[in-house]
Amino acid sequence: MTKLIRGFNETNIWNLLAFLIVAATVIPVANLALGVLPGENENWRHIREYLLKDYVVNTLILFGFSGLFASLIGVSLAYLVTVFDFPGRRFFQWALILPLSVPAYIAAYTYSGMLGYTGIITRALSGLFGRDISIDIMSVPGAIFIFTFFLFPYVYIISRAFLAKYTASLIESAIMLGKNYTQIFFQVILPVSRGVIASGSALILMEVANDYGVASYFGIDTFSIAIFKVWFGMGDVGAAAHLSLYALAFIVFIILAEKAIRGQKRFAIATTKVRLLTPHRLRGAKAAIAAGYSMLVWSLGFFIPFLQLVAWSALTYEEVLDQSFLQATVNTVFAAAFCASLIVCCAAIITNSARISRSRLVRTAGKLTAVGYSAPGAVIAIGVLILFIWLNAMTELFWSYSLITSIYMLLFAYLVRFMAVGCNSLENGFEKIGKTYFEASRTLGFGVTRTFFKVDFKMLLPSMIGAFSLIFVDMVKELPLTLILRPFNFNTLATKVYEYAHDERVHHSAPVALIIIAICSISVYSLSKLDKE
Amino acid sequence: MKKFWLLTLSLFLLSTVLLTGCGGGTPAPAATKPSVEAKEVNIYTSRHYPGIDDAIYKSFTDKTGIKVNVIKASGEELLQRIKTEGASSKADIYLTADAGNLYLAKQAGVLQPFTSPALTKNIPADFIDTDKMWVGLTMRARVLVYAKDRVKPDDLSTYEDLTQPKWKGKIVTRSSNNIYNQSMLAAFIAMNGETQAKEWAKGITANFARQPEGGDRDQAKAVAAGKADVAIMNSYYLGQMLSSKDPLEVKAAESLGVFFPNQNTTGTHVNIGGAGIVKSAKNVDNAVKLLEYLSDIEAQQKFAEASTEYPVNPAVEPSALLKKWGTFRKQNINLSKLGEHNRRAVQIFNEVGWK
Repeated sequence: MTKLIRGFNETNIWNLLAFLIVAATVIPVANLALGVLPGENENWRHIREYLLKDYVVNTLILFGFSGLFASLIGVSLAYLVTVFDFPGRRFFQWALILPLSVPAYIAAYTYSGMLGYTGIITRALSGLFGRDISIDIMSVPGAIFIFTFFLFPYVYIISRAFLAKYTASLIESAIMLGKNYTQIFFQVILPVSRGVIASGSALILMEVANDYGVASYFGIDTFSIAIFKVWFGMGDVGAAAHLSLYALAFIVFIILAEKAIRGQKRFAIATTKVRLLTPHRLRGAKAAIAAGYSMLVWSLGFFIPFLQLVAWSALTYEEVLDQSFLQATVNTVFAAAFCASLIVCCAAIITNSARISRSRLVRTAGKLTAVGYSAPGAVIAIGVLILFIWLNAMTELFWSYSLITSIYMLLFAYLVRFMAVGCNSLENGFEKIGKTYFEASRTLGFGVTRTFFKVDFKMLLPSMIGAFSLIFVDMVKELPLTLILRPFNFNTLATKVYEYAHDERVHHSAPVALIIIAICSISVYSLSKLDKE
Repeated sequence: MKKFWLLTLSLFLLSTVLLTGCGGGTPAPAATKPSVEAKEVNIYTSRHYPGIDDAIYKSFTDKTGIKVNVIKASGEELLQRIKTEGASSKADIYLTADAGNLYLAKQAGVLQPFTSPALTKNIPADFIDTDKMWVGLTMRARVLVYAKDRVKPDDLSTYEDLTQPKWKGKIVTRSSNNIYNQSMLAAFIAMNGETQAKEWAKGITANFARQPEGGDRDQAKAVAAGKADVAIMNSYYLGQMLSSKDPLEVKAAESLGVFFPNQNTTGTHVNIGGAGIVKSAKNVDNAVKLLEYLSDIEAQQKFAEASTEYPVNPAVEPSALLKKWGTFRKQNINLSKLGEHNRRAVQIFNEVGWK
């Protein structure tokens, strides 16, 4: 009996902690959305009449195509590098994660530089064909291109880990039943990995939803842009809240879709026998096609823009690099590492209590963190600011410390922003582990907490480190929150890039962009090492 | 209950271990310093000419011993931050690259009036707010940039002329989200009335060579590439292209000419970068000192040379490049008008379908 009570209490404590963390991450945004009654004022009528249709259509098109293409590329490459052996496979296995290290806004600036009138690609094409040929990247298809090629690794990483560990027997059985590899991909791999694809593409769609940099530079009206314009430009909080409700509907749709896709059939592989697949060796034309496809995607998503940035850096690094960059690098790395660790711990609490709880509410609580990940950065920033002004007023009575000029406000905003990434990764981790060990341990008399540390923790550790790397990379690239919420004289690499890029001096932003890419690459590389073990 | 404390303790330990393990340890340094010193001034700025501004602040600090603390973000974002922070804001100066934003700040009630003999000496009255809430520090003109090989300067005359059918498919400019375009249309509303301004926006939209995209530089490049004949853009960006390290970009810029429109009518549209002092400012004296310094000859010269903007201080000559483009007559309106009509301008853009 005492054991029962203790177990009950423990679960409650987990739930309580999880609830507190989720509440803390949701409050800043919810506060805004609920505090303002969406109004039917003149601005709103104006938006509805002239703009709303464009916003909806553009956002849907971006969502649909970026999500579709990125998923296809991600899964097909994951299938390719795990199931087959071809020249360069070992390299591509990890190198295909690299596009994630390039911030989308930098990719957008770089590509439009290369494809602009003075750009190297335009020059090369013109030289080749003897007349001016130009590709217009600053368009909706261009934005889809950028999102696809720089975000597909979200799907790639997660489905590769899944395929490598859990599908060996399925593939072997299918071969014995006389299926060829194309049939296997469509009939076996796609269906069984739809869960991980859904969770990878949910991250992609949320990144697309919160994007401001690419859409504003390319001149595409999306919801993120609209909210910014209405609130900051027209100063109309009510109409902005109204728009946010629409945007929120998109996000809820994504979350529900993800749940539906992966929820129908739980595919937990609770087996100790993780059997690695022996890759099938490709020869001749097939090997060339496999290598060529991987090379193409890698070049477009990383190597070509990387080379261009190196070339630009050669022009400008002397002018740009100075002492302040050392400080900015230190700031960036410390803030990212600190927050990423904290988020992973919090996400472990949230996902573990979601797993052990019977309550539907707790189970879906983790999903709420998606709000922070998918809302436009500027909106979260103001939400956090309001919260901290309130906190500041409370603490002012007995503590002279000013919270709103401190770094803690920014660090907290990072938590709000990236909690969803942590939850998403760890949820997948838990799903892979399944519940059998947990149940066995509980039957043998361990409490929930003890089970977590003694049984689940070790198995979850790879997922935790994976989540850490992902969040770390996201954080190094983060821009809007840092811009608005940073304390005086606090720079990160991303804000340094912004200063030049916003002034349309892309060449000058190149050296800093390269530092960002280098730091993210290290994190990405360690992520891939981890997967191998 | 023991269990609970054990759990909490272990969680804390876990996070500490993870932190030190990942090299985190302490949150980023140089961030939290209590502001007990009065020898400082805090700026929220949307000017982002790295190097230049920082160097000017540094020489100010060297001269006066007053430390300059900076937060940079876009003008809209910073204004929102000041508004939200209210009385607890630590900002002393709000510095931005557009008169429209300064007006919005004034309207929001977050600025306070200020003046000094040095300021009125350095800055012409046109560039000072009617209620002394802000001053202009640099100026830029929104000009017509044309392809030298296809357009003769004689073909160009006014902004209004660009709505003629002969320019169909030949005009480029950036999106209406951009405050420079909004301020330009706001100026037309102020001078010619709403109906004419709307006609103008409609006419320009009908003559677009393509849907607006990219920044001002991209408009210049589109003209150089032959996609359009005339771009409406800030003089500033062409100046930057001419001083680019990329020879191709310089070559492209050299194929373009600069034309100051409306010389015989209403004058060329200009806008300013300027600053106001925040209502809740704790360091008002220091803020005034800094603005005096920024409008004085030394800083104005640096602005002019490094960023190809026009100085507002009449004692300072523009850079050699700007002088080559010649002098011009500017619109004769108080720049507060740009902000006053901003909202209507945004609406008109949406109504006529200027993306």
